[in-house]
Formats: sequence, structure tokens, C-alpha cells
Amino acid sequence: MKVNILQWHAVASWTWDAQDETCGICRMAFDGCCPDCKLPGDDCPLIWGACNHAFHLHCILKWVNSQTSQAHCPMCRREWQFKG
Amino acid sequence: MVDFARVQKELQECSRDVERSGIKVSPKGDGSLARLIGTIPGPTGTPYEGGTFQIDIALPDAYPFEPPKMKFTTKVWHPNISSQSGAICLDILKDQWSPALTLKTALLSVQALLSAPQPDDPQDAVVAQQYLKDYQTFVGTARYWTETFAKKSSLGIEEKVQKLVEMGFPEGQARTTLEAVGGDENLALEKLCSG
Repeated sequence: MKVNILQWHAVASWTWDAQDETCGICRMAFDGCCPDCKLPGDDCPLIWGACNHAFHLHCILKWVNSQTSQAHCPMCRREWQFKG
Repeated sequence: MVDFARVQKELQECSRDVERSGIKVSPKGDGSLARLIGTIPGPTGTPYEGGTFQIDIALPDAYPFEPPKMKFTTKVWHPNISSQSGAICLDILKDQWSPALTLKTALLSVQALLSAPQPDDPQDAVVAQQYLKDYQTFVGTARYWTETFAKKSSLGIEEKVQKLVEMGFPEGQARTTLEAVGGDENLALEKLCSG
């Protein structure tokens, strides 16, 4: 038997694979974006710390840049290191 | 720029379980979300029990990356709170702030501070000295201040005006002063007496 596919309509959904649903800094959904962005996805990615806490990249960068000395994880206060 | 979307969310979440926590946060009323008023009940088993304490909250532009500025507007007798200005000595409101904290968790910490004074790191040296040297007098003074400043009188505004008139103040002046201090007859009396 031979099947001819005349039309193909694919639908996909995505979600960030984080333990929490919301960013602990801006309190917006991880599947949404940080307050400064308009569209979720690759332009407003999540980032994990060595301590395994996740935040919007833009949110944690604002926090790290606002600290004059070593920044700590907002959730667990361990020294903040980006997970390599 | 203050993250007002987050502040809005915080206010909603806080009002959702006000019954359980007793902690209230509301806008000061000038249309801006940068100035707020927090309310905490005095913890049970402390000299602050039964009192309702108001805290003035000012959000800096960088909130939540900088801590909210909080100070008591209700007078309180506590080693870590200035009896003069209401300034609060609490690490999470200074260098231990984290953007994962919220107005509600910060107010909970202030409430916990009422339960657990730290006289070795005082904001008000006089109170701290008294706490360390004469604990019974400290408890008495703290309780008296709670009774005097942190308890809402059950009297209506007309009765309070009447009371002040009976003390010899002109009615108009008694009324405007009462309104200016939000209906607190003790504060009104204090203000009237100081001219």
C-alpha cells in the first residue's frame, strides 16, 4: 500500500523544565517572560545556579549586577554561580 | 523603576490570607504603589499582644532589588525600634535583603522581631539598657505603650471630639486634629498639648 500525504499540520507545545512555576524575583510565570520582555522563549531564557535554583536570566542578572560584592542566590543565599 | 506588576501581585496575595496572617498591606492613598501602609498584630505572649501596629513603607526605585524602607508609625517600646522615630534595626531590611523576599515576609520578620528582641544590637539604646538591666520595668513600659498607642479606642469620632472638648479644647480644633492623626485620641491629645 502506498500512502500519499497531502497535507501535514504539526502542533507542538513547550515549557521550561524548572521545579517552580514562577520566578522568585519577578513572580511572573517561568513560561511567561520577565517584566522587561514581551515574548517568552529563547529571548527571555531561564538560567540555573550551581544551587539548582532557576530564574529568568534577565532577573538574576539585574540582581547580580546590583550587588557590590559577591552575589548570593535569592532563594537559598548560597554564593551565586551560574551552573556550568 | 519599581516593578509595580510585582507589587500589585504582592498586594493581592497578601489580602488573600489576611484572615490567617493578620498582616495587611495597602496603598497609602496617593494613587502611587510606591508608598504603602503595613499593619501587623502584636504577637501573643508578648507585651505587644492585643496591639495593632502600623508601618510606613516606601519602595525605592530599584525594588525588589533593594529592600523596602520600613518604619513604625505606631509608637512602640522595643530595643530594636527607635522609640523616637520608629526606625527598625533588622538585617533583612538592610544588607540581608533578598529579592525573593516580599512585603509580607518582611512584615512577618518585623513581627518576629517583636517576639524576639535583640538588645545586643540596639536601635534604641535607652530601651535596650532597660531590657538588660530591669526586664520587669521594660515589660511594663512596653505593655503600657501598646495600650496607649497601639489599641484602637472603641469610641466613635463624635465621642472622642466630645471628650477633647470636655478637656477644654475648642471643638473645631479637636475635630481637625483628630482627623489629622487618623482618629487616635491619644495622638490627638498629644498634638493639641504640644500646640
